[in-house]
Amino acid sequence: MSLAIKIQDLEWRYEHRKSFALRGVNLEIEENTFLGIVGANENGKTTLVSAISGLIPHSFNGIYRGSVQIFDQTVWDMDALELASKVGFVFADPESQFTAMTVEEEIVFGLENMGLSNQEIGERIKVAAELTMIEDLLDKSPYDVSGGQKQRVVIAAVLAMNPPIIIMDEPTSMIDPLGKRGIFSILRKLKAAGNHTLIVIEHNIEQLAPLADQMLLMHEGNIEKLTSPEEFFADPKFLEEHGVLTPESTEFVQWLKSEKYVPEETPLPLDLGTAIDISRHVIESRSDAS
Amino acid sequence: MVETTTSNISEQPVRVAKARKTLLGHVPINSPLYQFHPVTRLLMFFFLGIIPLFIFIPYVNMILIVVNIALMIWGKVDIRRLKMYLPVIFTVAFFMFAVALLAPGKDPSYVPVTFGPITFYYQPIFFAFAAYWRLIAMLFGTIFYFSTNRERDMLVAFRTLRLPFIASYVIGLSIRSAGMFMEDFRTIREAEQARGLDTKAMRFSDQVKLYMMYLVPLFSIALRRADEISNALFSRGFTISGKVKGGGKRADYIRSHYEIHTLDIVVMVIMLVIFVIIAFLQLRYSMFAIENAPLNIYFKGILGITN
Repeated sequence: MSLAIKIQDLEWRYEHRKSFALRGVNLEIEENTFLGIVGANENGKTTLVSAISGLIPHSFNGIYRGSVQIFDQTVWDMDALELASKVGFVFADPESQFTAMTVEEEIVFGLENMGLSNQEIGERIKVAAELTMIEDLLDKSPYDVSGGQKQRVVIAAVLAMNPPIIIMDEPTSMIDPLGKRGIFSILRKLKAAGNHTLIVIEHNIEQLAPLADQMLLMHEGNIEKLTSPEEFFADPKFLEEHGVLTPESTEFVQWLKSEKYVPEETPLPLDLGTAIDISRHVIESRSDAS
Repeated sequence: MVETTTSNISEQPVRVAKARKTLLGHVPINSPLYQFHPVTRLLMFFFLGIIPLFIFIPYVNMILIVVNIALMIWGKVDIRRLKMYLPVIFTVAFFMFAVALLAPGKDPSYVPVTFGPITFYYQPIFFAFAAYWRLIAMLFGTIFYFSTNRERDMLVAFRTLRLPFIASYVIGLSIRSAGMFMEDFRTIREAEQARGLDTKAMRFSDQVKLYMMYLVPLFSIALRRADEISNALFSRGFTISGKVKGGGKRADYIRSHYEIHTLDIVVMVIMLVIFVIIAFLQLRYSMFAIENAPLNIYFKGILGITN
C-alpha cells in the first residue's frame, strides 16, 4: 500500500501564542486506512488535521517548520483547489461550514469549484445524497434541518468531491444520539467501500474504536501513541492519564480478566457485541462447571 | 455476535415539500409566481421598486401598493403577515411628519396653516405626505419580492444577468449574515432574560446602553463566523479569484434547473414598456410631479396658494 500522508518533523505555533501546538510530529498514514485520533482538548488534534488539510499554513498565521506531504505533494506548495480535491474536511460545527442556502447548492459549491460539468455534478449529487440519506432534503435550507442531518449534508458535500482523504474533526460532537448513529453508519459504509483514507477525531470511543485500523493519541502537541486499537486500549490507566477513556466493553472484559473469569490471553474487545459474546461464554462455561 | 453497534439509521419517509421558505416567510410551492424565471421576478422587484422614484403623486403610489398587495394575494403569500410591518409603516410616518411639523425649513413661499394653538406650513406637510407614500410603495415592492423569493432565486437571477459568480456569492453571504446577526442577537437577549434581566423595567437610557453593550459579543461572533466560513470555503477549493480547477468556465448547476419561457419575455417586455413610458412622461413632461397631484391642487385651492 502506498503512503497517503507523510508528516516529517512538523512544528507549528499559532500567531500570538507562546507555545507550539505541534512539536516535531512524524507520521505516515497508508492509503485507504482508517485512523482514529483521540486526546484531551488543547493537545493538538485539530491542529494536526488542519495541517494535513492545508488549512495550516494557508489559512492561519504562525510559525511552520517541517513538512506535510499528501500523495508525495507538499501541502505548502498546493493551492486550495488542489488540496480540496485531495482532502475533504468535515468540521465539528456543521453550521459553520455551510456555504449556501439550500442543501443542493451546498453540495454543488465544491463540485463547481472542481470545474465539473453540470451532468457530472448531477450524478455526484445523486450518489452523495443517497449515501448520506439526504435525497429529500436537497431543496431545503441546510439551516432548517436537524443537527444530524446538517452534519450529513456537510459529509455529502465532501463525499461528492470524492477526495481520497477525508478528515472529520469531532463530527458528532454537536448532534443528538440518533444523529451520531447516522454519522457512524456513514463511516462504516465508507470504510467498507475502502476507497478513502479516513481520519476521524472523536471523543465517542465506543463507536470509533471498532472502526479504526489504527488509533493515535495526541498529547501536548506530540504523538504519544500510534498503534492498532486492540493494543491502544490495552492500557486503560495510561490512556486515562492522558485524558482518554477506554471503551466500556474493553474495560469490562479487562475486569473479567483481572477477576480470572476469562483467560489472560483473551483478546480485548472493542465493541459491545464481542464483549457480550465473551460474557456469554463465561456464563455458559461456569454453568457447565457447576 | 450481537450487532449492537452497527445499526443503521432508519430510512426516512419521503417528504414532499408543500411550501418554500422565502427570505421573509413561506410561500406554497404551487404559487403561480413560480412559473416565472427568477430573473423575471427580480425585474418585477426593480420595476415595482424603482417606479415610485418617478412618481410624486400620492394616489398613484397608493395604487402601486394595491398592485403589490394584489400580486401577493395572487402569489399565495400569507397576507396576514403584513401586519408585522405595521411598526415600520407607522414609525416612518411618525418621523417624516414630525420633521415636517417641527423642522419645516425656511422658505418665504411656505403658507402657514393654523389649527387652534398649532401652526404648521402646508408645503412641507404635503411634501412629507407624498414622499411617505412613495417610500411605502417601495417598501411594499421589497416585501413582495423578499416574501416570494429565496436567496437561491436571487442568485440565479443575478447570474442569469451575467453578474460574476463571486459578486453574486458575496450578496448571498451578506443576506445570510444579516439573518445570523439577528439570530445571535436573539440568543444573547434570551440568555440575559434567562438570567433575570427585565428590559421592560429599565429606563430608556439604560436600554440604549444595553444595546450598545450587545455590539461587543455580536461583532466577536461575527468575526469568528467569518473565520469559520473562510476555512469552509478554503476546504471546498474556493479561491477569491473564482477560478475553477482546469481553468475552464465555471458550471452553474443550479441555474441549469431554470429556463426562460415565452411568458417571461412577455412579462419583461410589458414591464419595460410601462417603465419607459412612466420615466419618459415624468422626465419630459413632469406628469407625476407633486404639483400635478390632484389632492395638492385641491388643498392649494382651498388655502388660496397660487405658486
